[in-house]
Amino acid sequence: MREVSIVGIGHTVFGNLSDFDLVDVMGFASGNALDDAGIREEREIIEQVFVANMGGGILNHQTGIASSLVSRMDMEPAMAELIENGPASGASAVKMGYMAIASGMVDVVMVTGGELMRTVTGWEGTDFVASLLHPEAEYNYGLTLPAYGGMFTRMYMERYGLTERDLGLVAVKDHQNGEKNPYAHVRVPCTIDAIHDNENAHVINNYIAEPLRMYGMCPVSDGAASLILCANDSPKMKYFTKEKPILISGIGSATDTHCVHNRKDPLILDAVRLAAERAYAMAELKPADISFAELHDAFVILELAISEEIGFFPRGKAAEAVRNGVTAIDGAKPVNTSGGLKSKGHPVGATGVSQVFELVKQLREQGEEGRQVKNPKHGMAVNFGGFGNNVVAIICSKGEE
Amino acid sequence: MIDFSAYGVHTPEVYAHKCPSCGKLFYPAPMICSDCGERRDPSGIIFKDWDTISLSGECTLLAWTRVYALPEGYEMQYLLFGIVEFPNGLRASGRLKVDQPDTGMKLNATVEIMDNSKGKEFDGFVFELMV
Ligand SMILES: [Zn+2]
Repeated sequence: MREVSIVGIGHTVFGNLSDFDLVDVMGFASGNALDDAGIREEREIIEQVFVANMGGGILNHQTGIASSLVSRMDMEPAMAELIENGPASGASAVKMGYMAIASGMVDVVMVTGGELMRTVTGWEGTDFVASLLHPEAEYNYGLTLPAYGGMFTRMYMERYGLTERDLGLVAVKDHQNGEKNPYAHVRVPCTIDAIHDNENAHVINNYIAEPLRMYGMCPVSDGAASLILCANDSPKMKYFTKEKPILISGIGSATDTHCVHNRKDPLILDAVRLAAERAYAMAELKPADISFAELHDAFVILELAISEEIGFFPRGKAAEAVRNGVTAIDGAKPVNTSGGLKSKGHPVGATGVSQVFELVKQLREQGEEGRQVKNPKHGMAVNFGGFGNNVVAIICSKGEE
Repeated sequence: MIDFSAYGVHTPEVYAHKCPSCGKLFYPAPMICSDCGERRDPSGIIFKDWDTISLSGECTLLAWTRVYALPEGYEMQYLLFGIVEFPNGLRASGRLKVDQPDTGMKLNATVEIMDNSKGKEFDGFVFELMV
């Protein structure tokens, strides 16, 4: 297969952008990626656009979003398609971009993910995401992703002795990173005293889906992120001299049962493990080779469970790693250097693209003060769709010096 | 139990589906048997639809949560949800009506007519204490 690199990255702030138009928000991130790639004037070299979005049709009453973005960015006649894979739409779109280039069909692709979720009420946003659950056996009851997050957290606590304080420590670590990320939605510092140890902690950190509390869940965010991909062997690589290309060294994805209750052991996230195994095999890397990772912490428990499933830590041991600072920015295995979904935010269609944006930023060593991993070689992103029923893992590598 | 169907009253039921070839039980209904590959035709036109078995009664609580973020219009402060396992090995998610749930406790799965968040009626599980 052809080698594919990321040659441009763009991002909007994540937060409340509900006064703006969805395609404008995506267009702003796309423009940032074109500028970062140094091809604003030569954008006709982009042959294919993939747009990641989950809810434009439902939340914003907009369809045909990929075609709309191409037109708004004056990029006709580039080919354009929308990719929807729930909250993993973003990484799926990156995967499609990779496949389009690796197949030899095109040389240059733009991947843009975006979502405007705050145009509806908090409950409507939660209800919209819950529409990915099984209609009859899950959604009907009023079950939501936070409800499954709560049940998963309780099962994990009961099996491995995880405590609410451990969950709080994950949030504290994520906020330490997100506070320094100019694109993050929630940039307020958060201390373990304020959200757990203090006697009044539970007033600000109340239960949402027991035993998950407010600080165990990501905010509802708007935003977009964009990447420009190019074949390493393409003559068009000559346009991309502004930044060092970052190689997409491995991609894997996998699915699991739609109903969570139908998994033999609901604590085992098969799709996460398989997606990661496929990405490791393609990159010819092992978990120990990965310098840092962006893991889909829509609920903080998922950061722990995913980090175990992808081989960073043995089962039930991730919390110990967090307690020991292993996943902190200066630890041996930094996780969610961007602040993760917890602090940076989770505009569902944008998230996977934003995770890869962060891998590139770190591998270029462009992280802000106090938020740069030391000498990173390989970064991994895990974008988790459904309650783990469609997961995409992507490894990016710095390449030879 | 009184058979309300004789009076034209809908008796709420949740059904498991049984593969006609190998007998494996499923909930919710698949379109193909994971054990033997037998296909299901919900219309019953091309193939005979699978037999159904009413699912309720004794079960064990595997996981539960109390959810405080509820749709507008809900009067209660929270809703409880759980995942249970039936003695035949099938599992289901549903609403939980137990004040002090405890993982592993024995429960009774009953079926009630309830509304989903869009106001649409459906027959759904309520897991309660054994009487
Ligand atoms: Zn069968």
